[in-house]
Amino acid sequence: MLKVENLYKNFGNIAAVAGISFEVKRGEVFGLLGPNGAGKSTTISIISTLLPPSRGQIFFEGESIFENSRNLRQKLGIVPQDIALYPTLTGYENLRFWGNLYGLKGAELKKRINEVAEIIGLKERLKDKVEKYSGGMKRRLNIGAALLHKPDLLIMDEPTVGIDPQSRSHILETVLKLNAQGMTIIYTTHYMEEAEELCSRICIMDEGKIIASGTKQELVELVKERTRINIKLDNISDNMPQVFKEITGVLDAAILDDTVTLFGENGDILLAEIISKVLEEKSKIQSIDIHKPDLEAVFLHLTGKALRD
Amino acid sequence: MKVLSIIIKDLKIVLSDKQAIIITMLMPLILMTILSMALKGSFMDSDDGGIEKIPVALVKQYDEGVDSKIFIKTLEKRLNIDISRDEVNPEKMFFEDFLGNEEVSRLIDFRIEEEGRARDLLNEGQISAIIILPEKYLYDMKINLLTPFRNKVDFKVLTHPDRPVAGEIVTSLMEAYANTMSSLIIGKNVLIESASANDLGGDSFDHIDEIMEGMTDLVAGIKVNIDNVAVEGRRTIKSTEYYAVAMMTMFILYAAGQGGRMLLEEKDNQTYQRMVIADISKSHILTGKFFAIFLIASIQIVIMLAYSHFALKVNWGNIKSLLVLSTASAFSVAGLGIFIGSLTYRAENYRLANAFESVIIQVMAFLGGSFFPLDFMPEIIRKISFISLNGVGLKAYLKIISGYGFSDILNYVSILAIAGILFTLAGIIIFNREVSKNA
Repeated sequence: MLKVENLYKNFGNIAAVAGISFEVKRGEVFGLLGPNGAGKSTTISIISTLLPPSRGQIFFEGESIFENSRNLRQKLGIVPQDIALYPTLTGYENLRFWGNLYGLKGAELKKRINEVAEIIGLKERLKDKVEKYSGGMKRRLNIGAALLHKPDLLIMDEPTVGIDPQSRSHILETVLKLNAQGMTIIYTTHYMEEAEELCSRICIMDEGKIIASGTKQELVELVKERTRINIKLDNISDNMPQVFKEITGVLDAAILDDTVTLFGENGDILLAEIISKVLEEKSKIQSIDIHKPDLEAVFLHLTGKALRD
Repeated sequence: MKVLSIIIKDLKIVLSDKQAIIITMLMPLILMTILSMALKGSFMDSDDGGIEKIPVALVKQYDEGVDSKIFIKTLEKRLNIDISRDEVNPEKMFFEDFLGNEEVSRLIDFRIEEEGRARDLLNEGQISAIIILPEKYLYDMKINLLTPFRNKVDFKVLTHPDRPVAGEIVTSLMEAYANTMSSLIIGKNVLIESASANDLGGDSFDHIDEIMEGMTDLVAGIKVNIDNVAVEGRRTIKSTEYYAVAMMTMFILYAAGQGGRMLLEEKDNQTYQRMVIADISKSHILTGKFFAIFLIASIQIVIMLAYSHFALKVNWGNIKSLLVLSTASAFSVAGLGIFIGSLTYRAENYRLANAFESVIIQVMAFLGGSFFPLDFMPEIIRKISFISLNGVGLKAYLKIISGYGFSDILNYVSILAIAGILFTLAGIIIFNREVSKNA
């Protein structure tokens, strides 16, 4: 459905996107996973024809979107990372405006607004001004505005940033429902769990490049022997990852906030030595989680840094 | 359809902004009411739509009996003439022939007061001016009118500082009277000198009072022409009318300020990008903004016209002229809004739009006469007032109210339309360049 070929985008001397290629197949949820600044949003801006590339090509249904953008624009729904709505208008007025821009009117528009309101779970709040919505409700309406014209391809750029777990869960469910109805979705996120839950295929991006791609299983295969251990500590010092790396069997360690993430070949055996090291460092363990190999491990393995750094 | 959606959406956004409504719709109504009431005395207002008479106090510093006695004695002593007839009466000339003449009495409502009382009345604002007839006024005037001699007579006119137009009228009237009297006196002197030259001698004095009586008919015929009060066949502008126009032409500029923010707000809200992805062209977006500003200004005009007509009893004159001028005014404001909007979009901050509202509109309002009538301004300001859109609009609206015809406002309509077109074109060029640069 969509093919990206050797795409570059430079802002001055900074390469925001540095030669990426991938293909999105009809009916799939395609994930772009990477930390902030990886180049995901720039890629999305180019695909949605907001930005021209420095180099490269993008084909939608076999046609270059730079030669004919109209076909893509008519079939594309975009959920921007920021809330692209009018806060002083009601939810209904926002949906009606965006529906009008996609050529919907009259009874058809009204019907579609009702359907979309049902999908995003805001039917009871459409008469309220958007400025009175919670962050999660705004995000849901932001998605709704992209669904009115029943797009073939929906691009969602970090749609769950900064919202409550309930709204997040609702959005993830919505994505799966839309996909089940046949909508193709490109989903960008820096939340590994979301990519794992939603995406049939995933591209992992870092510093403008794709560092790995494939299905979740294919990616995890890269680190199949690795167990991820998250240790939440009371008193954490910057050299903690280095301390843990001294333990035989620890392959990687990274720090994020008050949590140290370790990757080892056999987590259960390492646990005793890890606790001992924590005590030596006069720190206090708040919690320990042991995870099977996942995308976080893949990212750390490929880049040497935690996904949400 | 898409442009219409953008227009409706922008109108809803503006109309849902309470602060904007207060500034653009409510504030001018309040100000036009307050200013027209507060500065009523600066204009020639009257309830019947004509010119309200100016209340004036007349102070006689002279003593009629004393002046007459001295005059008779002087004549007997210096000229050896006996003039006991009083056909030539300067008091009658001033009060009956001058102040009582049809044109002057239409302008001035006078009463005779003691000087102290007159000054109190002026300070209290109960009268607009005091005319002081000096000591020995009767004596000096009789000397001037009936003898070959000339004595200096100084009238004094005291005016109220808050009523400059009234003051100017009274001063002009007194100047007209003084000039007429001077002509009369000079004429009399020429007559006497000619008589002497032709050796008519003392005979010429025998009938001088009769001759002067005939000449004083001139005083009754003084024509008063005061340009800034009334032009023949036109209605005088009242303070309510002036400030209704002044506030309207000033406050519609705020629609341009609001419009000036719209483009960058769309960009900041990411809604501009969303519209582009929805295949809405730049021209659609700009057209939508243009007509949104045009309609906001039009709504302002309709509200202010209606309020001033029904609440302040302003008679706006010819409907056709009013409609065409209002359309041209809203058009020029829309063009200005697009221009400011494009510059703001290019600057990526709201400093220009803010400066426009907080500084530029005030300057334009001042230059255009929205704060004080241009007639009270220095010549230089009157000359540069045409650079402000509100100044052009103000002059044209006042002409309509005064009763001028459609052809008389065409120049102003053309200026506003051309300004609107030029601003719009400049805005389009700036916006296109900016969008192309970022693409």
